[in-house]
Amino acid sequence: MNKKKIVIEPVTRVEGHGKVTIKMNEEGKVEDAFLHIVEFRGFEKFIQGHPYWEAPVLVQRLCGICPVSHHIAAAKAIDQLVGVDPENLTPTATKLRKLLHYGQVFQSHSLHFFYLASPDILFGIDAPAEKRNIVAVATENQELAKKGILMRKFGQEIIKALAGKKIHGILAVPGGVHKTFTKEEREYFLDGKQIPNVDTMIEWSKEIIDFMKAYHFDNAPWIDNFAAYPSNHLGLVHKETGAMELYDGRLRSIDSEGNELLNIEDIEYRYHFKEAVEPWSYLKFPYMTKYGRENGWNRVGPLARINTCSHIPTYYAEIERQIFKAYTQDKPNNMTMHTHWARLIEMLHCAELIKELLLDEDLMGTDLVTKGTPRNKGIGIIEAPRGTLIHEYHTDDKGLITKCNLIVSTTHNNEAMNRGVRTIANEVLNHKPEITEPMLNQIEMAIRAYDPCLSCATHALGQMPLIVQLEDLQGNLLDEKIR
Amino acid sequence: MKKLDNTLIIGIGNNTRQDDGLGWCFLEHLEKEGYHEDSLLYKYQLMVEDAELIAKYEKVIFVDACKTQLNNGFEIERVLPAEKVAFSTHEVPPNQILNLCENIYQKKPKSYIIKIQGYVWDIQIGLSNEATENLKKTVSYFKNFTP
Repeated sequence: MNKKKIVIEPVTRVEGHGKVTIKMNEEGKVEDAFLHIVEFRGFEKFIQGHPYWEAPVLVQRLCGICPVSHHIAAAKAIDQLVGVDPENLTPTATKLRKLLHYGQVFQSHSLHFFYLASPDILFGIDAPAEKRNIVAVATENQELAKKGILMRKFGQEIIKALAGKKIHGILAVPGGVHKTFTKEEREYFLDGKQIPNVDTMIEWSKEIIDFMKAYHFDNAPWIDNFAAYPSNHLGLVHKETGAMELYDGRLRSIDSEGNELLNIEDIEYRYHFKEAVEPWSYLKFPYMTKYGRENGWNRVGPLARINTCSHIPTYYAEIERQIFKAYTQDKPNNMTMHTHWARLIEMLHCAELIKELLLDEDLMGTDLVTKGTPRNKGIGIIEAPRGTLIHEYHTDDKGLITKCNLIVSTTHNNEAMNRGVRTIANEVLNHKPEITEPMLNQIEMAIRAYDPCLSCATHALGQMPLIVQLEDLQGNLLDEKIR
Repeated sequence: MKKLDNTLIIGIGNNTRQDDGLGWCFLEHLEKEGYHEDSLLYKYQLMVEDAELIAKYEKVIFVDACKTQLNNGFEIERVLPAEKVAFSTHEVPPNQILNLCENIYQKKPKSYIIKIQGYVWDIQIGLSNEATENLKKTVSYFKNFTP
């Protein structure tokens, strides 16, 4: 067998444009594998010179899937530029922002599970490529598809009610929000007359978790072992209780055995993280300075959040977390495919949080904006659907942005995704006489579990999909699949 | 106000990418003509959940910019549900939305696509002169079009 290199480009059912390269030696053994992110953007650079108050609007253009997350993270940073820390926002402003955020997480997780991941789960890894999509899911399981559509719609309607539109709307302004919630808007989500209500969302979320648990019960050997590897886990936790926190908290990291590596004020992140670069990708590799590039990288996102938190502060989601944790005897879960399960638990958590907020009278308050003494630096960190999202801005005395640093969830997961690609490439491609489509799909699945948003991560204008190329060790292209 | 009974017109595009904004500009013209906003929907792109939306209408008209050379600068044609489908969160064509609508909701709205030829696609607001001309011709034709 000749030395060769496989390239998967574009990687499908992920957000953004990526490429996988797999190098094989003469014996047909995988020598190395890489996930390259081939988009380049430079958002951090061209935002410089803009007035700070434009940031929460401009950065939404990073992405059409997670604009709300960027809006909120930027807003938290910009609050500090006008002298307002998260705890000093008015209760109404904080709760409206949280409602927007939970709506975003809910719709994003729905999108990922129903539209992107469910074909692999429903039809299996060997299903023909033309069957692995939401349309085939809809054909074979109409009820699941309808629920998926309506759950995503529910989250999007929350976003529209608060931000004016589903994509690239605006709620936050420096120091608060620009609008309140009305009783009519609240009733829309509670009465179930025009769309299924929040109680239905909670029930459906529970049903989907039951579906996932049953699927796991039937398929435990592969779902437990597929692309499983030890890692650190990073997530925000509540400042006092250590509970799962999506909007504002402390940054906590643990290793694969559960030992605490980091527990810091979020705004101290700069002193604890660095970002490495590699010549073959536009995506950086963040790591904890203290532990170095090799040992200091983290997974972020649903699995990491459930691993790093002490509990989930909503009733049903906490029950599900306990079941999830019991499977690993309360140890951190390093099984990559369990990220899908964790994601569904978070969907349930968000549905419960949305209900709590909808029943909270503060939501309809009129005290919307707080003022303070301006500063020149602001850092906003939230847990976006895909994981920890960091925005940092510096301004001059005229309020113009002089420096911007964004560490996006998918960037944190860069090392983890690359390890996943290597793990699966070794398992499914070594010494195989033929590279088949299902084999390549498995490599994509190792990436897809993280629900990466490559557009956000490279801060790019983009086409989407992923390419897989097969190269010899000299880098000569021998085969290529583009989807 | 002109309200189109049971008809939805979906303008697809991005007005910050020059002629990619043709779909939206078409809707803006209709708004100026007095069409009710409830009949008009601005979208960056179609998504799966649009199948649920169009299932509520008898007729749907998709309007989008087109890179292909068109004889009159625009073209109107019927769209039928796709036989084969694929899925990307960045591209779901109208015929696939119709397929989903038929599959999930057992509804088959009578559908058309209006393609308007565009020429430039850079990051800038504003149509090219040629696209503006094509838009005028399309709007003029549409006034007498009966779906």
